[in-house]
Amino acid sequence: MTDMTETLTPPADAARSAGETLLEVTDLAVEFRSDDGAVRAVDGLSYRVEAGRTLALVGESGCGKSVSSLAVMGLLPPTAHVVGGTARYRGTDLLALSPTQHRAHCGTHVAMVFQDALAALNPVHTVGYQLTESLRARTGTSRRDARRRAIELLDLVKVPNAAQRVDEYPHQFSGGMRQRVMIASALALDPDVLIADEPTTALDVTVQAQVLRLLAEIQAERQMGLVLITHDLGVVAGVADDVTVMYAGRAVEQAPVRDLYAAPAHPYTRALLRSVPRIGVAEDRTTGGRLPVVPGRPPAPGRVPPGCSFHPRCELAQDVCRTDEPPLAEVAPGRSSACHFAAELLGGARA
Amino acid sequence: MPESATPETTAPETATSRPATASDDVVLEVRDLAKSYPVRSGIVLKRTVGHVQAVDGVSLALRRGRTLGLVGESGSGKSTLARVLVGIEKPTRGQVLVDGEDVSTMSRAARRELRRNVQMVFQDPYTSLNPRMSVGEIVAEPYRIHPDAVPRGGRRRAVAELLELVGLDPDHVHRYPHQFSGGQRQRIGIARALAVKPRVLVCDEPVSALDVSVQGQVINLLEDLQDELGLAYLFIAHDLAVVQHIADEVAVMYLGRVVEEGERSAVYDDAHHPYTRALLSAVPVPDPTASRDDELLLEGDPPSPADPPSGCRFHTRCWLAHRLAAQEGEGGGDAVPERCRTDDPVLVPLGRPGADAVPHAAACHFARSAREARTHHVPETVPDPVLESRER
Repeated sequence: MTDMTETLTPPADAARSAGETLLEVTDLAVEFRSDDGAVRAVDGLSYRVEAGRTLALVGESGCGKSVSSLAVMGLLPPTAHVVGGTARYRGTDLLALSPTQHRAHCGTHVAMVFQDALAALNPVHTVGYQLTESLRARTGTSRRDARRRAIELLDLVKVPNAAQRVDEYPHQFSGGMRQRVMIASALALDPDVLIADEPTTALDVTVQAQVLRLLAEIQAERQMGLVLITHDLGVVAGVADDVTVMYAGRAVEQAPVRDLYAAPAHPYTRALLRSVPRIGVAEDRTTGGRLPVVPGRPPAPGRVPPGCSFHPRCELAQDVCRTDEPPLAEVAPGRSSACHFAAELLGGARA
Repeated sequence: MPESATPETTAPETATSRPATASDDVVLEVRDLAKSYPVRSGIVLKRTVGHVQAVDGVSLALRRGRTLGLVGESGSGKSTLARVLVGIEKPTRGQVLVDGEDVSTMSRAARRELRRNVQMVFQDPYTSLNPRMSVGEIVAEPYRIHPDAVPRGGRRRAVAELLELVGLDPDHVHRYPHQFSGGQRQRIGIARALAVKPRVLVCDEPVSALDVSVQGQVINLLEDLQDELGLAYLFIAHDLAVVQHIADEVAVMYLGRVVEEGERSAVYDDAHHPYTRALLSAVPVPDPTASRDDELLLEGDPPSPADPPSGCRFHTRCWLAHRLAAQEGEGGGDAVPERCRTDDPVLVPLGRPGADAVPHAAACHFARSAREARTHHVPETVPDPVLESRER
């Protein structure tokens, strides 16, 4: 037990240097199994999270972005199974660890913030108690010290009157403040990597702006690696350094954020970017403008079409797309796309 | 005066200053509407018995073939307003007028007939459809309450036509909601709302539960239906970009009040209320090269509508009030001008009188200062990049 405590104690001055790879997911595959057979929810996903950088996992519902993170955290529901791939945290493959060891790593080194803060908090315990649950369980911190640490954490996430609010219950907090509590709770053990699953989706737009700014500040200060799971391309543009776009369980495009927005190398990315309504862009209906849409809808897991999974909705689709699945391949330095026509797409955007 | 006007001429409505052409098309209007809910002591700690003023003195008009966008954060009262409009809730004060007739003074039968004209599309297509009813039953259900809308014999055909109208396969009439995707379910909800041939659709966050790529499809459908059927929409959303796309006029709500209203371009391009400007500034811009240093970041959450701040309800979070107070040298960062703390501002027209169906108006003591801040920075020594970037 002693050695456990040692490895679990948060490093005093986290030795995180900018650019260092903290988490590397390679060829991750997750299946949901039922009596009707197996459905692949994540299929060959790879990404890398570096210290001080933010990776956005972007996609629509059912694309596998949340499931892949739950797999990394060891929090998959019982029907889901990791069927391939690795998730290396500083060289240690989390997926190869025993459930106990996996849990020990996650929460300590890799922590997660969920979308629905009200559901994630226990209504019958004070915020302070929950904030330091992990601390007490893992490091044996005394109650008094834990309470002091809880106040520090609330201060860190800018909850006003932290010393007083630490003894309040979740229902006494507003939505934005609850999400701050969740972030504080995830930071309790000073993790290297923070995975935030739609952390601002349930929040009002003015509060969302506050929480995003807070996350960015904390990340920059601590040189954490941040994985932001979101469907909101507006949020991604403001926060992310790198982007992985997912569709039907696969990564279809990976690129630095500016490159991706300037010239998407996958038709799905392009269609998504086009369909985001923007303030100030006068495509209003009085001028006959209509919102550009992606026809159809994302395929249900288990009903992914053959060939390129996006081909039924793709305006560039050719015969080859219906039969051959395009691999995720490098199309320009630092960026890759899973499209047979990625080069043409990029060339056309530059022309 | 009204009695001198012949039925053929378009009589200017003397009650309001709005131009005749606009008031003619008004199908649904609310005047000084208020809705409060009682607060019982013991449920909410440390609070005496009082009332949550969810909507407090709102006046709006919906016009044929036009869309009024209603934006605001949680607790602003926009959903309560919607529920009052469709008759789910009774207002505690004020009037709801359908075709100029006050709903509250009518007989039950007449009220029901008028209510038929105002239908609602709900936010969540997963919980607003009964999972044990087939699509056909769901879409035909309103006929149980409004049997006169379509004669019994014609309903089957009416349902098929409705499904076709919203872009669903009429052959799927016997399927159940779980067999449809979110976007398709929202289409079913729209078909149900249209079943009794309403003239007004109240859409409460109709696309916020949908994926981005599907949102556009539903919005385009709503626009097509409006063009085809001449419907008036109240479109409630927290997504300002979506509202900008679909709305002709916009009203911004904060803690039960309308704080700014006007034509879409007036509100979006020339916002006067500091809250509107903060809202616009907080919308994430899908452009990584855009500068984010100029965000007007509001502090804190919207206060509880059970205990709204005195004076201007926005003063506790108002960046403009803080700046003005700092300019006057009135102490700390939280200081605001006396007036904002004590006087409740009313909606004041901002010029261009009579030109628009909804004259641009804002409820801020310093709306004109906010406007002047475009050219004369507040405070003068500190440039205001937000204002400049919006000018471009």
